Amino acid sequence: MGVVHGQEMVLNIGPQHPATHGVLRLQVKTDGEVISEITPYLGYLHRCFEKHCENVTYEQVIPFTDRCDYLASMTMNFGYVVAVEKLMDIKVNDRVQHIRVIMAELQRIASHLLATGVFGLDLGAFTPFLHMLRDRERIIDLFEMTCGARLLYNYMWVGGLSHDLPKGFVEATLNFLDYFEPKIDEFENLLGHNKIFVERTADIGIMPAEVAINFGVTGPNLRASGVNWDLRKDDPYSIYDKFDFNVPVGQGIKGTVGDSWDRFYVRLQEIRESVKIVRQAIDQLPKDGDVHQSMPKKIRPPKGSIYSRTESPRGDLGYYIESDGSDTPSRLKMRSPAFTALGVLDEIAGGWLMSDVLAILGSLDIVLGEIDR
Amino acid sequence: MTVDYIFDFLTGLLGGFLGSDYLLLASMLIPCLAIFGFITIYALIVIYAELKVSSFIQDKVGPMGQGVGLHAGKWGLLQPVADALKLLLKEDIIPSSADRPLFILAPFMIFIGAFISFVAIPFGESIIVADLNIGLFYILGVGSIAVLSLILAGWASNNKWSLYGGMRSAAQIVSYEIPAGLSLIVVIMLAGTLNLQDIIKYQEGGIFNWIIFDNPFVPIAFVVYFISALAEVNRTPFDLPESESELVAGFATEYSGMRYAFFFLSEYANMFVVSAVAAAGFLGGWQSPFDGFMSTPAWSVFWMISKTGFLIFVMIWLRWTLPRLRVDQLMNVCWKVFLPIALLNIFGVAIWTVVFNS
Amino acid sequence: MSEDIQVLIDDVVAKALAGDMDPINNIEDRVTRSKAKAALVKAKRSQPETEIKSKASEVSENSDVKTKDTIEHIVIASLTKNFSNFLDGEQNGEWIQMKAENWFDIAKHLKENEDLYFDSLQCNTGFDLEGGMLESRYNLHSMKHLHAIEIRIKVSIENPNIPSVESLWRVADWFERETYDMFGINFTGHRDLRRILLPEDWEGWPLRKNYEEQETYHGIVVPKVKEGWE
Repeated sequence: MGVVHGQEMVLNIGPQHPATHGVLRLQVKTDGEVISEITPYLGYLHRCFEKHCENVTYEQVIPFTDRCDYLASMTMNFGYVVAVEKLMDIKVNDRVQHIRVIMAELQRIASHLLATGVFGLDLGAFTPFLHMLRDRERIIDLFEMTCGARLLYNYMWVGGLSHDLPKGFVEATLNFLDYFEPKIDEFENLLGHNKIFVERTADIGIMPAEVAINFGVTGPNLRASGVNWDLRKDDPYSIYDKFDFNVPVGQGIKGTVGDSWDRFYVRLQEIRESVKIVRQAIDQLPKDGDVHQSMPKKIRPPKGSIYSRTESPRGDLGYYIESDGSDTPSRLKMRSPAFTALGVLDEIAGGWLMSDVLAILGSLDIVLGEIDR
Repeated sequence: MTVDYIFDFLTGLLGGFLGSDYLLLASMLIPCLAIFGFITIYALIVIYAELKVSSFIQDKVGPMGQGVGLHAGKWGLLQPVADALKLLLKEDIIPSSADRPLFILAPFMIFIGAFISFVAIPFGESIIVADLNIGLFYILGVGSIAVLSLILAGWASNNKWSLYGGMRSAAQIVSYEIPAGLSLIVVIMLAGTLNLQDIIKYQEGGIFNWIIFDNPFVPIAFVVYFISALAEVNRTPFDLPESESELVAGFATEYSGMRYAFFFLSEYANMFVVSAVAAAGFLGGWQSPFDGFMSTPAWSVFWMISKTGFLIFVMIWLRWTLPRLRVDQLMNVCWKVFLPIALLNIFGVAIWTVVFNS
Repeated sequence: MSEDIQVLIDDVVAKALAGDMDPINNIEDRVTRSKAKAALVKAKRSQPETEIKSKASEVSENSDVKTKDTIEHIVIASLTKNFSNFLDGEQNGEWIQMKAENWFDIAKHLKENEDLYFDSLQCNTGFDLEGGMLESRYNLHSMKHLHAIEIRIKVSIENPNIPSVESLWRVADWFERETYDMFGINFTGHRDLRRILLPEDWEGWPLRKNYEEQETYHGIVVPKVKEGWE
């Protein structure tokens, strides 16, 4: 008797689909329910970011960077501003540094809340998603208090910030943190330790550490595979070396190291660590200092190039800027962390069932705006 | 009101004018119209309840309005009416490559399956449309028409996603009927009859005479039956056939407007049927929990509806709290966990009854 | 501008060129401070080469490892033992300019040698040098030894072939597809080189400086990129 061969079915997930985080098309070859190959098709959200940057000045690039990863705009700005300041050798004062760290960490909390909530939504848990959105609203209210915008901030400028902190920001932030800390535990019990959720995500989509490094995966995805690598500790930029926080690493509590539950849990732990950092930053915030102090009148970096990396909620955000001495960049490339995270999908999702593919995609936390730029 | 009762009443009233065939027809139609009206009103109420309960669980407010005529009525009471009107007025799209006769037939069949189970449900003391001697068996049997129609819907849409949904739902419903049926055998064994009114009459005398307190094994049977019933009506955590985030809307992807409404109307109707059967079989049906107090026929309707309503509330609560099970895990749970437990239950109840003679 | 202010500005600019930015940042008056900074930038622009050299020497002076041996020197020394004729022109200590021919073997050596162990490719950028040359730049990084290096490879527009390294660092699979998509650099040996961000049947290489958009795409008119803000 021979082996029975069914016919392979080619299926399209997307581009219009509730579970792909943005406009993404996955062409999936399946045999019954088991997946044999996934090919992602990108480019639906390509807005020619890099070409535009060659035509506008350095300050005008900042709103463009906002729109790349629209769920973590502050950290996009932060990465770009750190790169240009390194290129021009500008040092900003302490107050600006502390405010930047507060904003970046609040943004990290908001982004991780959305990522974990949407992960639950993909698996059918509707309620934790709405609880997370409720808490994220309060963070966005804090941002709106400062710079007037809810999603795309254009807040961090080269050499400083666009607005100083308003009166009442510090109390509002401390109130929020006191309200929020018990909610993380509630969320962890509701979704994280729920037996059905664990069955759906533990041991699914295992990414070994060598595969992760070879495929260039960084950020929480890499840390969930057991590699202790966080740019805020290993290659510190800004004033991150002054704060005391741990780096959560996946330990395979519910399954193997590097499965989807680990990726989810590492994000949850990172929210707790970010809360710690914000509290320390508020404690150490200098009372005086002008946020517009070090802003140059005309941004004209010297000829040269630089590659600088910062830690965005999705991973290693790299900016490669080449300047030819004029006031528009000659080449600006953004190395986005979600791009490499999507590249590893084919490797870790072969051989699983259809429902698992969506679970794995949700655990990788991609944003199409950043991938397509 | 059984059909006979109405027939006698009408014969007394109009016997001279019309022949008895027409009177028989009329006396069969009147209860059906009553049931249809009941289903409609019940659907409006349960849709509103689902919206509000889910909103409170999710820390939202839900549909709210400022008054009749504005927005959605005070506290959003007109929201389900607005939903129904919207679905009625939507454009009816049939894909050109779909199989027309089967496509149109599927929603009708599923509604028929839900509707004809209603005739055997007791709403109160002597308020039942057809007091069948095999009442419980009839309801279980007729509920399987839903499977046929789901497969039809998935196939006729000519869409890979709908096909997936249809296949999954067929597998799921057929598998979960077995533990459900086996758990009901416990009820039949203890009451000694398949007639639903007699099963309820067996449980008279207050709360401790209900079948669920008869035997330590019966609560297990109740839980197994309730979870299998959840799977049969396709509710989360078993709602894979219509899982929004994976297959868009599963087998109902291509349906729009009133046809779509039929699928979800019959899902709610099925919820009522299985909750009513659980309430009648395990929780005493229309019997009052207090012996003799509040047990007039008028109160019996209240007790039946409130017990059923409580079970429906638990179903809604579970939907908004738990994530979804995957197909193979679902099948695993059914065949490897529920089936052995249900079988062992039957033995347990039988042995307990013989030993303790209760 | 009064004389004292001019003297003050010259003084702080001189200090800043020597590396001390504090006098400039501590000027109280905002107008004077910005004037000082403008003067500083002007002064810096007029001496670009010394600027770059001083930055490189600063880096090598401040690095903890050794004063003379930057990572570029170590890498070139290690490669010279096993390969010959791979450098392409003058090196300036900031990046390594290489020829395209031996790139795959060199990359294998860089990845597998125990002292170098560059096991992660951080970024691959394409660049359009005017004058008929394209360039592909690789930023390599070692997770074990925590050192990083940049490698640049120039090719001409008529024959833009570079060996692909995607079998060594799998991340290069998509990075090289993107560079191919935007610049037209052909990576030989790539398992599936096709466009990634643009549709498969798009014509032209967008990030080249002389790129002209096609007129229509499947009947839709393609709008032109506007210069600045209009």
